[in-house]
Parts: sequence; structure tokens; C-alpha cells
Amino acid sequence: MENKNLFQNIALKQFNQSDVIAYNKSFVSDVSDYNFQLLDNAYRNAGRTYAKLKIAIETNSCTSEGCALELSGIKNLEEAPQASLSFIASLISELSTTEEQNFDPNNNYQYTAANSLMTTKPGFSKTDGYSAYLDLLPDGSQQISFMGPAFGSPLVINNTALNTLLESGTSLVVSTPDINKNMLSLMAEVGLFLQEMIGENGELKANAKISEEFIMMNPDGSFDYEIVDIGNGKGRNVLKYDLKKIEQKAKPFINAEVAGLMSSEQDVIAAWNVYISKSTSAEEDAQMAQNANAGNTSWLYELDLPLQEDKKVLFETKYKEYFMNNYLNEFTKNQPPTVKEDAAVFDLAEAKKAKAQKFLDDNDLN
Amino acid sequence: MVGLGAVIGGAGSIISSVIAGSAAREEQRRAAREKKRLEKKMAQLEADRQDVINPYAGIQDLSSMITNPFANLSVATGAAEMKIEEADISLANTLDTMRATGASAGGATALAQAALRSKKDVANSIELQEKSNEDKRARGEEKQQAALTAEQQRLQNADVQGRGFVYGETEKREMGQLDRTAGLIEMATGVEAQAKADALSAKLGAVGGITDTIGGIAGMIG
Repeated sequence: MENKNLFQNIALKQFNQSDVIAYNKSFVSDVSDYNFQLLDNAYRNAGRTYAKLKIAIETNSCTSEGCALELSGIKNLEEAPQASLSFIASLISELSTTEEQNFDPNNNYQYTAANSLMTTKPGFSKTDGYSAYLDLLPDGSQQISFMGPAFGSPLVINNTALNTLLESGTSLVVSTPDINKNMLSLMAEVGLFLQEMIGENGELKANAKISEEFIMMNPDGSFDYEIVDIGNGKGRNVLKYDLKKIEQKAKPFINAEVAGLMSSEQDVIAAWNVYISKSTSAEEDAQMAQNANAGNTSWLYELDLPLQEDKKVLFETKYKEYFMNNYLNEFTKNQPPTVKEDAAVFDLAEAKKAKAQKFLDDNDLN
Repeated sequence: MVGLGAVIGGAGSIISSVIAGSAAREEQRRAAREKKRLEKKMAQLEADRQDVINPYAGIQDLSSMITNPFANLSVATGAAEMKIEEADISLANTLDTMRATGASAGGATALAQAALRSKKDVANSIELQEKSNEDKRARGEEKQQAALTAEQQRLQNADVQGRGFVYGETEKREMGQLDRTAGLIEMATGVEAQAKADALSAKLGAVGGITDTIGGIAGMIG
């Protein structure tokens, strides 16, 4: 199935970030009219309507019994300005999520288009065929409608629906959790590093190393090294870590982190789509023009919410892998010995021979 | 802001307020989301914690092993019986000799008295032994009672220390976690509340503009 949101969102992002519009002669020579004037248009006749209702009540010429409709209309109009401002502020706040660096392109692309219009991005003006209206509806609610080439069908948002969503703690556009920040905090929490390795910001210091209790030791108490071939017949020792012990120690903390994320399932989908599914690190993403995204393995907000148990389990498994591979790995791979004499470069052939001899000696095989 | 002003329309103060309100809402949303996430994370951490164990829980009552080794001391009567037998044999032999040599009846009486004395000595010896055993049994009893009391005190102390340890550790953990949770929630709640206040303040600043317009027009027509 074609993922229209993914395609359109990426296309819109690339369009907004590129300078392509600057080379469009028609665009450059034309007027860019962004005077959508949402409030002015919505309230153009409001004063007149308000006055008519007031007059009807005061002159006993109401059309409804006991002036119920007229009184309700007045109440709605009096409350409307506050509701309009609240509505627009909430909408701008929601739409701004589409500009976040780690925005999940599986969100509805119409919100990206709406944000482009609201923030007057080149190519989204009235001149370019776009329009937006704020309507005060008879039932007292309000709606904003966006139309234009990038929208396909009109995007209509009602203020009461938006308020309900926001008050229940969900959102119109999902902001992808900052996995990088969460994982850096998690590194300091998992109990693998001594307290003095953790900085005041709650993250690991630059010189942080995993505690010795997680390093493999020989029965005589010396470090059990892995020998790495560095070329030209030379080798050096690197520390070996007890990965099973590390995993056991980290597991409850990773579980807790995942449980925190699960407090908002749409956040889980966003994290899956942007980071976890393809296991790309924040660093790798930073090196790309567009963050790697789940592509055809994406989970869709419309279809996959609420999350099924199998997806939750898969997320937890992949989250752990992501943490181990992209964050913990750098502390367990190619770590030089802490004992100075063991850190020297040596002849590989001799070292291997010595190691074999030690094995024979240790096991009484001579 | 100029761009947004064109889109929204209305006076400059309204646009500023909408922008401020929007930023405040975003901050409020983030704080609320972070609070929710941290609360869930903390709950999971608490659920996954190991139980606090009572290191004294395995203490056993060893009272049954405390006995009085002197409780059932027997009196060594074998030697006494032998001594009596020897005295009897010696008496019989002496009587035989006396009969053979034609000794007088007075000699026989003296001999019988000597035999009696010998048996009395034996009885005294048994009595002394029994007295000594009784003393030892009493001393053993005293020591056993002292040991039993000490053992019961040890058990009671272990119980109290164990309960104290579990309470202390649980209290320490829970207080730590509660403090941490409270700190985080307080922080997020503070941000959320401030953002709400900012949003309200922005809204109140802006509403005046539009309501004045509506009211003004109504006033003119009315």
C-alpha cells in the first residue's frame, strides 16, 4: 500500500528546505498574497449580528420562544473571540510540530501543508491557489478550513474536537520523542557506571567507563583480554566485557524507559518510525539530509492505534537492541586495558603462542 | 510575525498574544507529556525492584540443642557393692578361721561390728556421691536456664533487628523514590502551570481587542 503521508511529507519538507522556488520565474515575478485574514473575515459581520440579536431581545421581536435562540447567539458571540484566539494558538502550536527535526513523516501530510500556509512559506500564498477560513458556526463552535493544491481535499479542523484531543493528553500532530536525550539519560541510570562518571546534567562524562565488575577476569584476578590484530603482525589487548551481566543489569531500567514511552502510544509509533525500526542512531540521522525512517515497515497512526501486544513486544525488543548497539556498544568495544603494561602493542605471533601455552599450562595438558 | 499577522488578521497586539499563547501551549503540552512519561517510568521501576529481604529471617531456635549434661548422672554403686561383698567374704573367712582356732564369742561380736562399720562406710560413700551428683545437676540446670534465656534473647533481637532492617530499607528506598518522583512531577507541574498562566495571560491580553470591536459595533447600531 502506498504510504501517501510519507511521500507527501518528505516532498513538502524538501520543497520548503530547498531554494527551488527562488528559481521559479513566475513565482518571483508575481505577488505573494498571504492576507488570509482569518479573524477579520470571521468577525466581519459579527458586530452586526450581535447588534441585531440585542435589538431583537430589547424590542421583544425575537423569533424564538423566550428569545432562547437570540440569547444563545449572544452568548456564543461573546465567547467567540476568546475561543478563536485559543483555537488559533493551539492550532499553531500543534502544526509547528511538523517543523521539528525528527518529525515523523507518517503524520497526516495536510498538517505540514497547513503549517506551511500559516507560517507563510513560499509557494503557499493565495496567489499560489491556497485559501484558509475561520468560520463561527451556529452551534457556537468554530472551524478552520484549509484548501489548495497541496491539500488534495480540504482540511477542516473544529475547535471543540481539537480541545477535546488536547485535554485528553493526545495531539493532532505527533511530536517524536527525543530518543537521543532519553538514551543518554538512560546510560547514566542503568547502573553500569560509577557515580563519579556521571555529570551534573545527569549524563555520562566524556571519560566515562563501565565499572570493572562488568569486565571479564581470569581466575587469578587478572583481566581477560581479547587480542586485536592491528596489522603488520602486531596486536594489542582490549578489555572483554560480560555482556550477559551487563544486559541483566540494564534490563529493568530499559523496561522502565519503554514503559514511560508507552504512556503515549502515538509517541511509540513515532519513535518506531523515526528511530527504532531501522535502528539508525541519532548521529547517523544527523549525517543524512532526511532522517532515516521506517519506510515500508512504518506503523500507521490511523491503522495501528491502539497498539497490539505483539507490536509492543517488538518495540521493547528493538528498543533494547537500539540502546545496546547505538549507545552501549561504544563502551564495550575496543576498550584499551586499564593496566598500563597490558596496553602496549606486541608481536601477534608471540602473543598467540604464549596464550596457547598458558591454556596448556592451566589445563595441565603439557 | 508580519507573516502570521497577514494570515490571522486583527491588531498587532492580538498577533503577539496569539504567538505567546501558542508558545505557552506548546510548553504546557511538553511538560504534561514529560510528566506522564516519568510517572509511568517510575511506576515500572518500582514494580521491578527486588523485594527487601530480612537477613535475619533464617535464624533458628536452637533451644532444643541446649541440655543439662548432669541431668541424669548415675551413682557408681558397683564399687560399693564389691566392697560390701569383699567385707562379707572377709567376714566369712575370719569366722572360719575363728571356728578352726576355737576363738571366743566376744571375738565374733567384734568381727560382726567391724563388718557393720565397713558397710556403713560404703553407705556413706554412696550418699556422698549422690549429693555430689545432685549439686552437679543443679549447677547444670542453672547453666541450661541461662543458655535458654540467652537463646531466646538472641531470637528476639534478631527478630527486632530484622524488622528494623526491612522497615529501614523499605523506608529508605520508598522515600528516595518518592522524593525523586515528587521532584520530577513538581518540576513538570510547575512548568505546566506556568505555561497555562502564560497562555491565559496571552489570551486575556488579546480578547479585549475583538470584544471591543463587537461591542463597539453593537453600541453604534443599538
